[in-house]
Amino acid sequence: MSVPVLVCVGLSHKQVPIGVREQIAVSSEQLADRLARLKAIAGVREAMLLSTCNRLEVFAIADARTVADDVLRDLGPLAAQHAVTRFEDEALLHLFRVTASLDSMVVGEAQIQGQVKEAYARAQEAGVCGPAFARALSAALSAAKRVRTETAIARGAVSVSSIAVRMAQKVLGDLSGRAVLLVGAGDMAQLAARELHACGVSSLLVANRSSAAAEALAKDVSGIAVSLLELPALLERADVVLCSTASQQPIVTRDLVSRVIRARRYRPLFLIDLALPRNIDPAVNQLENAYVYDLDDLERVAAQNRGLREQEVQRAEAIVLEEITAYARAKQERAAVPVLARLRAHAQALADAEVERTLAVLAPLSERQQKSVRAMAAAIVNKLLHGPTSRLRGEQGGPLADAAAELFGIPRDADTEAPVERSEASDAEGGERPAERVAAPADVLPLTRRQ
Amino acid sequence: MATVLVHIALLAYAAAAGIYLAWLVRPRTWLVPAGRTLLLAGLLLHLASFGAAVSLSHGEGLARAGFGSDAWKGGQLFSLLAAATVAGYLVLDFRHGIPVAGAFVAPVTVAVMVPAHLVHSGERAIAPALTHSGALALHVGSAAAGTAALALAFALSLLYLASEKQLKSKHPGRLFARLPSLELIDRVGWHLSVWGFIFLSIAIATGSFVSRESSGSAFPLAPKEGFAILAWALLAALIQARLVAGWRGRRVALLVVAGFLLLMGTYAGLLAAPPHASTAALIVGWLGRG
Repeated sequence: MSVPVLVCVGLSHKQVPIGVREQIAVSSEQLADRLARLKAIAGVREAMLLSTCNRLEVFAIADARTVADDVLRDLGPLAAQHAVTRFEDEALLHLFRVTASLDSMVVGEAQIQGQVKEAYARAQEAGVCGPAFARALSAALSAAKRVRTETAIARGAVSVSSIAVRMAQKVLGDLSGRAVLLVGAGDMAQLAARELHACGVSSLLVANRSSAAAEALAKDVSGIAVSLLELPALLERADVVLCSTASQQPIVTRDLVSRVIRARRYRPLFLIDLALPRNIDPAVNQLENAYVYDLDDLERVAAQNRGLREQEVQRAEAIVLEEITAYARAKQERAAVPVLARLRAHAQALADAEVERTLAVLAPLSERQQKSVRAMAAAIVNKLLHGPTSRLRGEQGGPLADAAAELFGIPRDADTEAPVERSEASDAEGGERPAERVAAPADVLPLTRRQ
Repeated sequence: MATVLVHIALLAYAAAAGIYLAWLVRPRTWLVPAGRTLLLAGLLLHLASFGAAVSLSHGEGLARAGFGSDAWKGGQLFSLLAAATVAGYLVLDFRHGIPVAGAFVAPVTVAVMVPAHLVHSGERAIAPALTHSGALALHVGSAAAGTAALALAFALSLLYLASEKQLKSKHPGRLFARLPSLELIDRVGWHLSVWGFIFLSIAIATGSFVSRESSGSAFPLAPKEGFAILAWALLAALIQARLVAGWRGRRVALLVVAGFLLLMGTYAGLLAAPPHASTAALIVGWLGRG
């Protein structure tokens, strides 16, 4: 059987601007279909599709590197033009960095971890994820947790929503007494709305296509539900507008805001577009006293923030590398233990067969004599295998495990044997740290759809 | 004595300018209070120099209600303007905390003070009819206050335009974090413009009276008066547009910049060809002949 390869194919805010990302974004409704398509690609064993406002990436465990080409084609021609393909160590490092928020638009933001868990849960639902991916993701999430707790990377204004609030303050000054209009019910917009609420805004108006959704969200963020049909009047009233709908077309247009600005007597209007595709026509920013910030614009501000926290980022990168090393070591141990088990089983089977053959040709022996012969055969097996066993355990698999498997003709595939390996590894290592990190998929990732 | 005091004040202004500029480069928390203290110290010394000049005039300065001088130096006028601008800035900073404006005001103060006090400027005669005029005192005082207010509004307008450009272009520069909100700059700039307009109106009205006293013509056709009227008209239009149509932001900032530049034309006209040399009489009265 071929050796599985970890593949990552995709793109993020680092490769393409928001204009491209909004064209290739995979909505929540489309995700199941896209996962089914990934599953259907020959050579894909496990896969997870991570689609956020800032990235579209497929992590897959494949039979061969060439499978990445098929995955790339599946992303579509536009994405394929810009996508980056990573393999093995590079792909693993990317998975860890993404999960630890080191590759995020706003480094240190916590939202990405929920998004990764969500993506994994959806992949599990679709039956595309298996134990190998579960282990990798578990280790990545552990690394992310360490990064958050052991560094100051999460301190300060690190979320997109908080940067949006800061920019609103740059335009409007003190936000107390201001009116905020929340259009749509996206997660980031809700976060930003809560932050604005904490800044003392006087009224928080929540508009949605569905009045029930608007009322539910209004209740959640202590706002007032309003109808989206009143948008022009609402824009006249609001000082900050947060858009985060699933609309495929801009709902706030240049003409609309042009009329609104005059009606507002040129009072400044700060519009934050957290949607993909964008909800606000970028041309609105050309209007006097109207300021539009989309996700890419917030990235520019976030980049400054990142520069200030460079030292913390370096510490976080070091933690990620430590965790990757620990993960790789644990993987090698898992790979070594089944070789030992099979080698021992193979030798024991040979010894048992020889014992039975010998006993058959000898004169009838007593029960005690037969027991002695069997003990002698077992002792020979143990003495012969003592050295190789110690070496294999000490080396934690690697080339020696491969050599042992090759010499004794033992099949070796760590991932296909993962559930067995796990218990063996735990037994063999007495619950030491690397082994503790490996648990049954169900244990490792109590992944809920929403954290 | 007055000269020594004003030179020390100038050194304090220069040190404050250096500190504010250093704060722009490296925003250490102690720099702003230090710069503010130096500006305040400079202003107090500067005012003390005016007081010393008055006392040295042996009671023939302010005490005589008129200003008793028959000549003035152009540099003295700019010295008074610099003091008024620094005083205005300190009030603003106390109320709103806009240290980045200090990084503009302090160097400009030095730039105005150096030629005003270190470069020799010849005396110009004042019409005898004006040497004891109360209207002249009001004219010069309101002109200085209005110019100081508009100079600060001009500084804030430049800040607004720079800050707005960064916000619109989505490319925050190094100073972005130190810029106040657009709303604050706009609001304070608007108040300063209104005060500038009020003082300028008083200055023009009293100037007209002074001009009639000295030359017989209320509105002589001279660059100084022409620029003053243009600046006043522009500010009047700005205020009308703001109150009636709600104008604010960039277009108001541009109008303030234009208004202040027109006002500078008035001073250029005054220095180039003073028809009656009235404007500086008050300063001469305060500072004496030296």
